[in-house]
Amino acid sequence: MGSTAIHAAGLSKDYGGVHALQDLDLTVAEGEVFGYLGPNGAGKTTTIRLLLGLARPSRGRAEIFGLDCQRQTVQAHRRLAYVAGEASLWPSLTGTETLHLLGRVQGRVDAAYRDELVGRFDLDPGKKVRAYSKGNRQKLILIAALMARPALLLLDEPTAGLDPLMEQTFRACVQEARDRGQTVFLSSHILSEVEALCDRMGILRAGVLVETGTLAQLRHLSARTVEATFDGSVPDLSRVPGVSSVEVTGRVLRCQVRGSVEPLLKVLAAAGVHELLSREPSLEELFLAHYGAEPGAESERARAG
Amino acid sequence: MQAELALPRTQAGRGPGSVVARRTARRAVRSGALWGYIFGATVASSAYGFAAAYKTPAQRARVAALFGSNSGLAAINGPARQIQTVAGYTVWKSFMFLALAGAVWGLLTGTRLLRGEEDAGRWELLLAGQTTRRRAAGQALAGLGAGAATLWALTAVITIAAGRLPKIGITAGPALFFTVALVAPAVMFLAVGAFTSQLAATRRQAAGYAGAALGACYAVRLVADSGTGLQWLRWASPLGWAEELQPLTSPRPLALLPVAGLVVAAGGLSVYLAGRRDIAAGILPDRGSAAPRTRLLSGPAGLAARLARPAMAGWAAAIGTLGLLMGFIAKQGGTALTSSSTVERVVARLGAHGSSAAAYLGFAFLTVAWLVAFAAAGQVSAARAEEAEGRLDQLLVRPVPRWSWLGGRIAVTVVALVASGLFAGLCAWAGAASQQAGVSLASLLGAGLAVVPPALCVLGIGVLTMGIWPRATTPVTYGVLAWSLLIELAGGFFSSSHWLLDTSVFHHVTAAPAVPPDWASAAVLTAVGTVAAGLGGMAFARRDLAGE
Repeated sequence: MGSTAIHAAGLSKDYGGVHALQDLDLTVAEGEVFGYLGPNGAGKTTTIRLLLGLARPSRGRAEIFGLDCQRQTVQAHRRLAYVAGEASLWPSLTGTETLHLLGRVQGRVDAAYRDELVGRFDLDPGKKVRAYSKGNRQKLILIAALMARPALLLLDEPTAGLDPLMEQTFRACVQEARDRGQTVFLSSHILSEVEALCDRMGILRAGVLVETGTLAQLRHLSARTVEATFDGSVPDLSRVPGVSSVEVTGRVLRCQVRGSVEPLLKVLAAAGVHELLSREPSLEELFLAHYGAEPGAESERARAG
Repeated sequence: MQAELALPRTQAGRGPGSVVARRTARRAVRSGALWGYIFGATVASSAYGFAAAYKTPAQRARVAALFGSNSGLAAINGPARQIQTVAGYTVWKSFMFLALAGAVWGLLTGTRLLRGEEDAGRWELLLAGQTTRRRAAGQALAGLGAGAATLWALTAVITIAAGRLPKIGITAGPALFFTVALVAPAVMFLAVGAFTSQLAATRRQAAGYAGAALGACYAVRLVADSGTGLQWLRWASPLGWAEELQPLTSPRPLALLPVAGLVVAAGGLSVYLAGRRDIAAGILPDRGSAAPRTRLLSGPAGLAARLARPAMAGWAAAIGTLGLLMGFIAKQGGTALTSSSTVERVVARLGAHGSSAAAYLGFAFLTVAWLVAFAAAGQVSAARAEEAEGRLDQLLVRPVPRWSWLGGRIAVTVVALVASGLFAGLCAWAGAASQQAGVSLASLLGAGLAVVPPALCVLGIGVLTMGIWPRATTPVTYGVLAWSLLIELAGGFFSSSHWLLDTSVFHHVTAAPAVPPDWASAAVLTAVGTVAAGLGGMAFARRDLAGE
């Protein structure tokens, strides 16, 4: 197909003097599962609220399936469903009533799939929302979003409060959605979830999208970890180009290398290395590499949600 | 060793144990202070208004002769005692209104700060620490006590200061007892609110129980005061106890005994019951599940109707009961109504029209206008809560335009308000007809309809505020109401200033059914409401959704 599900150009949002989101340029293709990563307050929710038209951008614009997010909101919403991280629902309605209401408002529901989802998520729909736990309320809005089989699923930390078993069910549902050709935009700070589900991902930091790409592409840009065990004394690596984060525990040395490993290998070989392990960085390490520095960014993110 | 590992004390001498007391006190004191000013201002303006309007003993004797034995007015204002004096008139004019307002404040504050806080999950954090449920409930009661003390202190300071004016001349001792009597209903219903907070699992339900209790107390008192020979019934109603204190005229401190008894009993039971139930649950069983009723749940307007139903049913019950009782006593209540600052205005328009019962009902329907306007403010506040608490997101992320949601909510509210007004007319007619008072159904339905426009104006102003300054929606909407009530109560004080009187949404409500409703003013009020709502809707469609 190759057409575009989400397109943002220069999308920005300021709250007072705080830049919650700055110049976001992003394209998500139809059928893609896109992971949107960032710590709390990086601007993930702000992005999604702008895409949904719940907030107005300070600058820039965004489109969903070519429909303007601000001016053609209703048409765009016919093709998407959204799951928030915190399910605010009407306490006096039961699960069944809530699904009925949200289905009627959505306009188009696969009733058989809805019933199947209620079973798979192990939800008792006869209870009032007030009587549900946080996890059960989360299941309810997940089912409400999935049952519409929308062309685009916008998920904002959707598994908050779910137990590991239900988290597995959720992952299966997302994979099925992908297999059917639905587009998924998954905002999360749970890295294993993104690693398991997403084709491509973007990393957001203090309102700025700092990286986008597949996991392999992101790894390529980042340092790899090298672990070496020595027979004799551990060599000094402080002058070796590309090496950082050196840790020494007894005869074991652990460090990170960016770029070519050749200079490091030469030093290690000369020092009499006994065992050598090298691996690609995990998403978690990539993520931490992006957030380790600049603690000053914390306050900037305070208002963004 | 273990004691040293306990939570760090934030401030010397203030352990985590008193967190609940301080939290509750902070909020109760804030709203108690606001209401203290309103209480004081109402008392001072009633006293000053009378002293300024009726200067000579002869004028005052005429007032006493007109109102002193009118049982219909007594049903609304309480019995008239020594109303030829500034002190007696001030009690008659302000006491029952403030007693009722205080009781409503008490039950709302009590349920909000106990059940509301617990319902929102804020107590769980505290109770996971070192505090037991009973101790927390006791502390919350102490916090409410601080709020009540603030209400009393401000009322007392303003009343005593006003009493020192030579024109008014009320000495400090009696004034102090008067203010004790004024805040007694507020204190009683704070305790009742704390008690019903233990019974119900949600704030709304707890407030509903306490509100029903207050409604029953008010109805019993109204019957006792309406000259039916049932004065002893006053002892069956906490509002009646407050009346029996007879401040400023013939003080009876002994009537404080049942007041104190109720406060101690309701407070003690609250603490006791708090220890006997689970956190976030009530003593009464809460049905956690229910058979689905999906008839209304097909869109935003249907949802609004479904959500508004319990509150509107409560208002309709209150308005209908009031209408019925007013109709019932209209015939005997309608004797000579011809003066006093509020009645004056009403009666000035009466001319020779209508029976005496119609004249009385015309006066009584002003109270219905207040209730209907309060119901409107409640609906605006509820709409804003949908947005602030994030439930509105669930609709607006689906193919629902913002105008459709807001329009649906407004439409449902307007229908409910018009129905309430007509229902009040119908009930008043039923009450009046049972006594052969000779007031026609058509004129009472007209009177019922005529009280709706002020409510529509309040609704419109509320929607406008929600559009341009969402976080101020509730305070501004209730502020407009409180302001209008103050202007109405202190009407005599401001009678020279017409533009000031015009800022009250109730000022143009005529004494229908005694006179024809002022449909021109009604149209203006409705137009103001409609334009305000339209502008508010446009602003709402263009702004960011705003949380709390």
